[in-house]
Amino acid sequence: MSATSGYFVVGTSWLHHRHPLTKLLGLGFVLLATFLLPSITLVLLVIALAGIAASAGLAARLARAMRIPAVLLASILVVNAFFYPGATDRLLELGPLAVSREGLTFGTISAGRVLVAFIASVLFLFTTLADDLLEALVARGASHRIAFVILSAVQLVPRMQLRAASILDAQQARGLAIEGSFGRRIRALVPLIGPVLLGSLIDVRERTFALEARGFGARPGRTAYRQVVDPPSDRWLRPVLVLGCIAVIVAAVTGLGRG
Amino acid sequence: MTETTTRGIAPIAALRLAGLSVRYPGQRSPSLDSVDLEVQAGELVGVSGRTGAGKSTLALAAGGFLPRVVRATVTGSAAVGGIDATSLDPRALLGHVGIVFATPANQLSASKQTVREELAFGLENLGVDRADMDGRISTVLVRLGIANLADREPLTLSGGEQQRVAIASIVVMGTSLLVLDEPTAQLDPVGAADVGALLAELARGGTAVLVVEHDPTILGQTSRMVLLESAKAVGSGEPGYVLGSRVAGLYGLPAPTLVRLAELAEMDPALAFDEAAIVANLSSHGPRLAPGAEPSLSIGAWEAARDRPVPVAQVQELAHRYPNGVEALRGVSLRFAPGEAAVILGQNGSGKTTLAKHLNGLLRPDRGDVQFDGVSTRNLRVDELSATVGFVFQNPDDQLFERTVEREVSFGPRNLGWNAATVRQLVERALDAVGLSAVGGTNPYDLDLSRRKLVSLASVLAMNPSILVLDEPTTGQDPVGTERVGAVVRGMRDAGRTVIAITHNMEFAAAHFDRVILMREGIVIADGPPSELLSAPNQALLASTGLTPPPAARIASALGLTLVPRTAAGLIEALTARR
Repeated sequence: MSATSGYFVVGTSWLHHRHPLTKLLGLGFVLLATFLLPSITLVLLVIALAGIAASAGLAARLARAMRIPAVLLASILVVNAFFYPGATDRLLELGPLAVSREGLTFGTISAGRVLVAFIASVLFLFTTLADDLLEALVARGASHRIAFVILSAVQLVPRMQLRAASILDAQQARGLAIEGSFGRRIRALVPLIGPVLLGSLIDVRERTFALEARGFGARPGRTAYRQVVDPPSDRWLRPVLVLGCIAVIVAAVTGLGRG
Repeated sequence: MTETTTRGIAPIAALRLAGLSVRYPGQRSPSLDSVDLEVQAGELVGVSGRTGAGKSTLALAAGGFLPRVVRATVTGSAAVGGIDATSLDPRALLGHVGIVFATPANQLSASKQTVREELAFGLENLGVDRADMDGRISTVLVRLGIANLADREPLTLSGGEQQRVAIASIVVMGTSLLVLDEPTAQLDPVGAADVGALLAELARGGTAVLVVEHDPTILGQTSRMVLLESAKAVGSGEPGYVLGSRVAGLYGLPAPTLVRLAELAEMDPALAFDEAAIVANLSSHGPRLAPGAEPSLSIGAWEAARDRPVPVAQVQELAHRYPNGVEALRGVSLRFAPGEAAVILGQNGSGKTTLAKHLNGLLRPDRGDVQFDGVSTRNLRVDELSATVGFVFQNPDDQLFERTVEREVSFGPRNLGWNAATVRQLVERALDAVGLSAVGGTNPYDLDLSRRKLVSLASVLAMNPSILVLDEPTTGQDPVGTERVGAVVRGMRDAGRTVIAITHNMEFAAAHFDRVILMREGIVIADGPPSELLSAPNQALLASTGLTPPPAARIASALGLTLVPRTAAGLIEALTARR
């Protein structure tokens, strides 16, 4: 992962070529549908997203990224299957524990929703440069200052990851043991978190000076060097997605959205 | 605030400070005290002085940051191109002055995909028309010799390249005054030389350049410089004069090698950085003055409680490949005996730090082994090895977290489980060795970078290591701090400990170490005493890994001396003996 481009995967697929706002609306549509429409929709969404990933040449990347939510998804399923409150229909008895039909159903739906939300978000991050999103938002009236602050915060994550690794090395070299009892591990956090925060503050001071020196936010009428391409197809795709979002909300409000 | 300009009589100075004083909130004494300075268009002017003398405050004032960005009480006047530099209006100086700081990565917006876009960032903020941007950017990229970087991602560039991009990002905004605060502090010799050449080129092109520096190779290129001491400007003139015994020497600052040689040859200070002139003078007249006793700092041989036998460190056929496929070490074998002070030299990427990180177990060998008295490090944890091998990292801010210097320095020995009396004794000894006994109760982050580095050195010394590993210990140090680190190296060596350092500072390497190990592309290409390795026949070998011999060695080679002296005094002694 690059500190500049985050999770972006260089590519020329049809999904890469969509305007950032089109993809943002698409992501919004999928998230609304996931959480508001009947649960059967989840199956369709998973199939559709898998198809989108494959057609954009991102299937292998997506499969690798699935390691991130794997534990969360499994735990949602297992905890609900065994401990769903008020469940009566026992499918399988394992000593004092039992898998219930209600728990298994609820766990599967909940895990499915998280799965869809994760896949959609990852596909957005894989194919959208944060800088393009920033310019697209600013071009539509968003505050450049606020958009830049949000972008910087997102880009801070990989920088802090690199920094944390260096700090771990430096403190271990001074005899800090990071293995052992729970209490010992908790105590080991102070020498690790301290330099991450203090070092970041020093960085922020220097970076603030550097931005000041380059006139950031000093005057209105900022121009933009980076040009974000907005293909003709996106100009009709975005209204369609907006209508889709409205339709999902209407369906949910009128009672069609109980899953 | 009064603004003084001399319209109609002389050109308006690019920078004019008159009686400028600065006091930060909560500080008893001023950080700048009645400083006068003028920089004209096309001038390259240097500012130097020991850490804490007020250099960075001067740079911030010249850059228009005081009191608008950094709160301070400012009296006297500061003007950039005739415009009040203490104005609170962020637009007042926009496009007139730019400032560049020490850490290359922090100078960049960190959000741009290419160098070209990075340069456009300032133009966007100025509201420059999109159609004009490409032309302006291309012109500056070509002028500053970095057109080849145009489409590279800024954060993947080397430190030297990033710093040149940072300078270009200011220049493209059309600034008439460029201020730099230690721009080469974190660069290797090649990067520093590139930045130095760039500044000279900018000045030739009409830009006024004010550079705060310690590096003699940069200061030597300035047309004149100012020395700050305790917030006051105590001397100004040609760099050969200001850095010599008649100005800097009065304040305990050691002179750069070339300046000292020029003085010993009784040459005009204006020629102090002209190596050819020094060689010609010494070869025709010889040294006119005896060097006398070199002012040298000593901490004595390191003695501390809990002394243990120092093991022999053995690196055998060591190979390491990083997960991204880079083969950083390709079969390195070395032996370090107790009482040895060895320095590892080589350009960035030659495998120096990877080798050092194997010595304390931070990295594990893919092939080969690292052993201490025959015991392999493979099965030892980093914290277990830390009792034997002390590792001082390049960036002190990666480890400082305690609320006082004393507590910070006691962190390591406390981790080793020693009793309070032993810890106290070691902390006192370590703080004394680095000259920070007086600031034991201070918060480390209230100290400047140079002294924070000394705190991190003390925090490892207090663990009483048998083997001390130093990664770039002189970056960000003033000449006094560098001497202090050298004294620690010699003190540890004299006590029979092993010292292994990685550095780009050739003068430091030559002056304080007995063994030089040259690395290139993951292998050792030469290993021997500095007097042999840094000699003229090896110049091509040194150049093959991005190094140049230190100044005393260059002059000695040009004068036909076979053995390379460590310092200016050593060179003069060798010349006197030859005559």
